[in-house]
Amino acid sequence: MPRRGVLTQAPRRRPIDWLPYAFLAPSLLIFILIMGYPFIVGLSYSLRGGSLLDLGGFVGLDNYAQLLQDPDFQHSVVFTAIFTVGTVVGSYLIGLGLALLLNAELAGRGLYRGALLIPWIIPSIVSTQSFRWLMIQNGPVDVMLHALGLSSIPFFATPGWAAFTVTLVKVWRSYPFMMVSCLAALQTIDPNLTEAAAADGAGRIAWFKHIAWPHIATLSVVLWIMMAIFSIHDFETIWLLTQGGPGTATMNLMVLSYNYTFIGDNVGYGAAVAIISLLVLMALALLLLRSRREVVAAAPVEAAR
Amino acid sequence: MSAAAAGAAPFAVRAAGARRRGHRLRVWALVVLAIGANIPVLVVLVNSLKSTEEFLITNSILPLHWTLSNYHILGTQTDFWSFVRTSVSVTALTTVISVTVAILAGYSLSRTVNAFTAGYARSVLILQMFPIMLELIPLFILFGYLRLINSWFSVVPLYVAGVLPYGIWMAKGFFDGMPREMEEAAWVDGCSHFGSFWRIALPLSGPGVAAISIFSFLLSWNEFLIASVFLRNPHAETIPVGVFVFVAEYQTNWGPLFAASTLALIPAFLFVLFAQRYMVQGALAGSVKQ
Repeated sequence: MPRRGVLTQAPRRRPIDWLPYAFLAPSLLIFILIMGYPFIVGLSYSLRGGSLLDLGGFVGLDNYAQLLQDPDFQHSVVFTAIFTVGTVVGSYLIGLGLALLLNAELAGRGLYRGALLIPWIIPSIVSTQSFRWLMIQNGPVDVMLHALGLSSIPFFATPGWAAFTVTLVKVWRSYPFMMVSCLAALQTIDPNLTEAAAADGAGRIAWFKHIAWPHIATLSVVLWIMMAIFSIHDFETIWLLTQGGPGTATMNLMVLSYNYTFIGDNVGYGAAVAIISLLVLMALALLLLRSRREVVAAAPVEAAR
Repeated sequence: MSAAAAGAAPFAVRAAGARRRGHRLRVWALVVLAIGANIPVLVVLVNSLKSTEEFLITNSILPLHWTLSNYHILGTQTDFWSFVRTSVSVTALTTVISVTVAILAGYSLSRTVNAFTAGYARSVLILQMFPIMLELIPLFILFGYLRLINSWFSVVPLYVAGVLPYGIWMAKGFFDGMPREMEEAAWVDGCSHFGSFWRIALPLSGPGVAAISIFSFLLSWNEFLIASVFLRNPHAETIPVGVFVFVAEYQTNWGPLFAASTLALIPAFLFVLFAQRYMVQGALAGSVKQ
């Protein structure tokens, strides 16, 4: 522990400083109980048949083999991918746009930022039910469409529109995360650079292309990966809007796993889906660790885990 | 977007008049967007003042008759106050535990740098990807054996585990930004490591504590999935789970649902009004390394 003393003393063995490890112990305990134990037990469930009340015997990799051939699972993988790409692109574009708007000397900027943050921090049950009321059959959006001479849109009734609706609501719940993160990055751009660019006659597009974008590019990659993880993780937006319906149209892996476990009472299947999604998430996490070397990204106030 | 993208930047080539117009355009765009983005929130507030019958007969956005009857129904015909009590208990306990654990761990990871702590910090980062469904299935069965289902505190360890990965990194980032010279001086004077943490680092960690608390509060106040699996008895339900009973595909009981939602929104509004600074700071703990 050289930093302890400035004075050089006769070499003497210092006792090991246990404090840092004692301080880490409570968090380690929680991780082991709430993640380590479920991981091992969940893995073993995924190799068994049976129900929540009566776990069956080991069936090896049967659950996985059957899942891969199950059209519901295949559909769920495809839907998860579409939902993820849609929400990443949508929330990033909107969030970055708003960050660019907010990146200026404005009276009352905190007020605008605060108002634009609200969708991020309110309970999922509130936002989903509000959207449901707005977009339900014969609801206000429907009435507006009629007033404009358009026909009504079945926002929840057809597979395509239901996928659109859950993606839209997830984008609405997530853009503030992108906005706040991009804004923080934009605000660290050296003002001298911007002034020099202006003096050289650069317009706003040139400014964005040559100064802003290089500055936020690495962070952006991190944000895309993080948002992909949140979207794959998302249960509440989808469940509270469509319960995965119509049919199984909007079931991502989380909803599918929930459905198998708690509604179909097939724990082996449910656990297998959860393990598969863990593998996907881990792959993204490793990708994230690589890109985090340069940027340590936002730890979101993730009301929307 | 690009038209207003960099209006504040001092683009000398543009005339002052054009710049002022660009500024005004930006302000108007923000006003319109801030209101537009909050339409679903405004809908909740306004709808909570409509009677249930009105939902069936009209699509008018504003109530025909303003009424507090939904709040009356909540108070007299539902267990809403029990939901509030449970939510407050869950949130308070989660926040106290997760802030304590995160501060301790974050302090260690910041002040002690070796292969073990570096590895721990990276593992924590990976743990934030752990799917909740994988926690839920084994723990639902385990808690069933332990007869913990329907006890409000059964959700707390899972919420703490959800807060910790971010919470520890927020705390680490916060202590990284705190100069260590004072603590080192205290060590030279014979202060123990714990003493320097307790007397020097901890008293200065207020803003970090605030940021982690807000994060923890919002997570446990808003959470639906874990609570809906573990708390299935009206006397043990949190607000999000409790109000879900008003929801049904064809005959949602909109009035009380929106009244309960309005009350559930209060903390979010308070945070935006009074603690936005900590929220954004915390959200961005170490966001961009400088």
